[in-house]
Amino acid sequence: MISSRLSALGVRALLLGLLAAAGDASAQTRLIIVSGLGGAPKYTKEFSDLANTMANAARERAGLPDSSIAWYGDPAAAKSTWYRGPSLKDTLEGVFLRQASRPASEQLVLVLIGHGSGEGEETRISMPGPDLSAKDFRRILAGFGSRRVAFVNLTSASGDMMDLLAAPGRVVITATKSAFERNETKFGEFFITAFARDGADTDKDNRVSLLEAFAFAEIETKRLYENDSRMLTEHAQMADASGVARQFFLTPGAMRSTAGSRLTALYSDRFALDSQIQVLRKKKATMSDDAYLAELERLLVPLAQKAREIRQLETGK
Amino acid sequence: MVPRALCFVLVALFLMGSSAFAQSDSLTRRLEAAVKLWDRGERDAANREFQSFIDIYNARADRLSSAQFVAVARAVTYLGVDDPQLFKDALKAYDRAIAGDPDNVDARARLGELFTLKYNGTEAKRTLSEALAKDPKNVAALVADARRRDFDNERGADSVLAMGLEQEPENVSARALRAQFRADVEDFTGAAQEAERALRADAQSGEALAIRAALYRIASDSVGYAEMRRRYSAAYPREAGLLIATANMLSRVRQYAQAAAVAREGTQVDPKSWRAHAMLGSNLMRLGDIPAARASLETAFKGDPYDLWTKNTLDLLDTFGEYEVTNTEKFRFMIEKAESGVLSLYLKEILEKAYVTFQKRYQFTPSGQVRVEVFRSHADFSVRTVGLAGLGALGVSFGNVIAFDSPAAKDAGSFNWASTAWHELAHTFTLGASDMRVPRWLSEGLSVYEERRGRPGWGQNVSPDFLKAFEEKKLVPASRLNDGFVRPAYPQQVMHSYYQASLLCEMIARDVGEPALAQMLAAYRDGQSTPQIVLRVLKMDMATLDTRFVAFMRERFGRAMTATRDKDVAVEQYLPADQLVARADLRAGNYWMQVAVGRALIQRREHAKAIPILERARAQFPDYGGADGAYPALVRARQANGDLRGAATTLGIAAELGDMPYELHITLTDLWLEVGDTTKAAEALEGAMYMNPFSIAQHERLAELFTRTGDKRRAVRERMAVVALNPVDIAEAQFRLAIAHREAGDEGNAKRSLLRALEVAPHFERAQELLLTIVEKKP
Repeated sequence: MISSRLSALGVRALLLGLLAAAGDASAQTRLIIVSGLGGAPKYTKEFSDLANTMANAARERAGLPDSSIAWYGDPAAAKSTWYRGPSLKDTLEGVFLRQASRPASEQLVLVLIGHGSGEGEETRISMPGPDLSAKDFRRILAGFGSRRVAFVNLTSASGDMMDLLAAPGRVVITATKSAFERNETKFGEFFITAFARDGADTDKDNRVSLLEAFAFAEIETKRLYENDSRMLTEHAQMADASGVARQFFLTPGAMRSTAGSRLTALYSDRFALDSQIQVLRKKKATMSDDAYLAELERLLVPLAQKAREIRQLETGK
Repeated sequence: MVPRALCFVLVALFLMGSSAFAQSDSLTRRLEAAVKLWDRGERDAANREFQSFIDIYNARADRLSSAQFVAVARAVTYLGVDDPQLFKDALKAYDRAIAGDPDNVDARARLGELFTLKYNGTEAKRTLSEALAKDPKNVAALVADARRRDFDNERGADSVLAMGLEQEPENVSARALRAQFRADVEDFTGAAQEAERALRADAQSGEALAIRAALYRIASDSVGYAEMRRRYSAAYPREAGLLIATANMLSRVRQYAQAAAVAREGTQVDPKSWRAHAMLGSNLMRLGDIPAARASLETAFKGDPYDLWTKNTLDLLDTFGEYEVTNTEKFRFMIEKAESGVLSLYLKEILEKAYVTFQKRYQFTPSGQVRVEVFRSHADFSVRTVGLAGLGALGVSFGNVIAFDSPAAKDAGSFNWASTAWHELAHTFTLGASDMRVPRWLSEGLSVYEERRGRPGWGQNVSPDFLKAFEEKKLVPASRLNDGFVRPAYPQQVMHSYYQASLLCEMIARDVGEPALAQMLAAYRDGQSTPQIVLRVLKMDMATLDTRFVAFMRERFGRAMTATRDKDVAVEQYLPADQLVARADLRAGNYWMQVAVGRALIQRREHAKAIPILERARAQFPDYGGADGAYPALVRARQANGDLRGAATTLGIAAELGDMPYELHITLTDLWLEVGDTTKAAEALEGAMYMNPFSIAQHERLAELFTRTGDKRRAVRERMAVVALNPVDIAEAQFRLAIAHREAGDEGNAKRSLLRALEVAPHFERAQELLLTIVEKKP
């Protein structure tokens, strides 16, 4: 379930959105991965593998520097470049306190991996030592004020955290819809895969947004259960009250300067064509397939030509 | 008729002093008189009489005897034809009859019959158990229980009926029911004898006349059929019983069009025969006339809302909106929307090929399109086939309509859906070429035989338990092969019969010639019997056919039978490798010993020593690729020994023997890729698709393999399959499909795919560039 989505944008809104994204281009992303107590070697390894896959994807595919990636995990797990220490409650409280004092332009992505339990405010992730609960996270996240934060809880039974932690400007993702979905989840694996491999960048802008990763993982999880002829026992959900998930990337893509009259004109034309394509899409159900494709071609060919020219001007190729 | 409930007290009070009530001690006689009116077709008069029983009940229920309550119940049951809710009142009257006299076994037997009539097997069973507990020899209860067991598909129907006939050998209902049971197992001669005996006991018996007529009809004895109809119509001018029995029998011998015509006649003779409407509807379903079927079933259900079969089928029809219907010249596909895209891609290719193959082989062309229905839910398929859930089969052919489970209906990869489709379409041709007269053994035998010829690895193959059954003489002789299907003597006999029948077809093709199979179908079409056909087409008598088949089995599997005869082998895992080898050598002729030793050696990592022993086993029974046989162990040993090509070759042979799990098809693909054989890898992976076509990753992989082998057509198909499976990154999938189209020389479809990619992701750079390349190239 997605509690809120961006509505379709008109040209003006789209332009503003892109400029806003450009404004965030200089922002830094901090990725903090917390993997909980495995309890058994199988899970310890599984959790650390997921944490490392996520960290590696952030570095290799999203271009985050190692210094912006931190993994706190089960002390029993094999350590890696990104391991910063055990996922002890006290340690993490300190880490979050320091993060909260970082510049407002920084965005934080917090990913929780592990076994979940409890319900309501007592929904928790199993840690070595005392657990961190929904109540703890509510207090911790309050310290981040209006900063852009993505709270991604991939543990089982994590569902109750969504309503408790949802806030403006904040994206909250949980692997389950309630505390009663206690089985081991597959959503987390697919969510991380979305960043680690091809297949989730559906709008082909060469970046995977949180919304794309969520949609990818949700669909693939469902497909996995269907293919195994099993009933779906996990239903991921996302709270995105401000509609930022669509443009929330591990690394915000930089908008190039549009200074110079030709580029400005090209971008303006491009936005206009984008807008016309959106309008056409809404008419699809009322048109024959052939007529729709013909009209689409009439818009997409000039759009491709504009894009080619923009690339040539921007790269000099 | 105005329905009247038993609680209509005012009417009852009005009738308090009526002559009807005064004659309450003769209620049963009154009832019989009313029944005679009903039988004579004087239904209005009969109904008036039956309705008076309601009034009697309401006025004097506290004074009626148990037998009188039974009379009331029977009268109300007749009224239930017009108002199905009145059956509940009939139940109440029976309950009062039983409460008034717990030893009234007749009441319990009739109540049991009513429950069966209203499709309530559970209550029927309970009631009839109580009746038989009171009087184990009560013939009416025994007959009712036999009918109930048959309805519930519960064992013992025959023996319970036999007990009834032991008590009363000339009981007409019992004889007529036995005639039905004999016909159900295709013993039509025995059935006719039973029906004749029933008619000797009562020449006017409706049920005896009905079953005799049905038997005449399927034997194409129009004189006998007309005579039975004349007698029946004279006694029961407005009853559809004979026509229902005939339609039912015709349906059982797959003469669906005739069955529908007879059932329709039944609805005309008695428009309130809900059973006739249901029978018409179910046969129209089998003929693929869905709108007409729905209309008949709705009429049936309105009149008899207790009919589970009809209700289930109507519920199923309500789901048909979730299916996508696509047409080709030869086929009309109905597949659930979610999987129609990917399945129809394959089915169109497979069934087109099958159609052309069978058309040529059996010299038959179906009239119009063949309707192909694919069900994502096995329960829906089961309802489509028999009206109820729980059918064990995977597919069915009604002639020009075939239906089968989608691969999603079972655990993914657990059965070969493509060979199932091939099998069912073969039935369409063998049924059609014989005008629906081919016996089951030959139709099934040809379908399995055709599966094996369709593609290596398809269709049933030999198993050790089949050979064991042969050696233990459990298999029925070739001349009585139909018994293996309709009267199985042990749990696996039906499955064994499928394979046995396919072997018999194989033997006929080899020894008499391929055309003989089509000639046999033509002879059945012409109305010849199996012994006649065997004599005229195969030039032998039935006894010779049996002898020849036994010889064929020995020739084909003699060595394997000897080698697998003794499965009682034990190998001590802890023995040193050389001693294990010695154990195998000591019983070198025992297949199971070779396999056991081979496996033990693999466990001890003595792969080089395991290989010759497992090869010895394989040579003894080369046709068996099962999990407990030599092949899987041999593949492991070769793989561990570094002989990847050998492992791939061995696994490839096992794949061609059939019944290989999906995962092993993937393993085979991997092995061929490891040794660099892209063509064989693609072939293996395509084999996997026939078990599980729902993996996007495997379709992408197969598309790449076909691209590498230069098979552009199939590369396009695989890219289309990826798109059909609706991947998250649909833009990428469409883009790759566009490339495949372009490589196959189809720029028109390439452009369409690019437009669909860019519709989702308008700024998709690679797609934009390719689109420009295509459009800018054009003048």
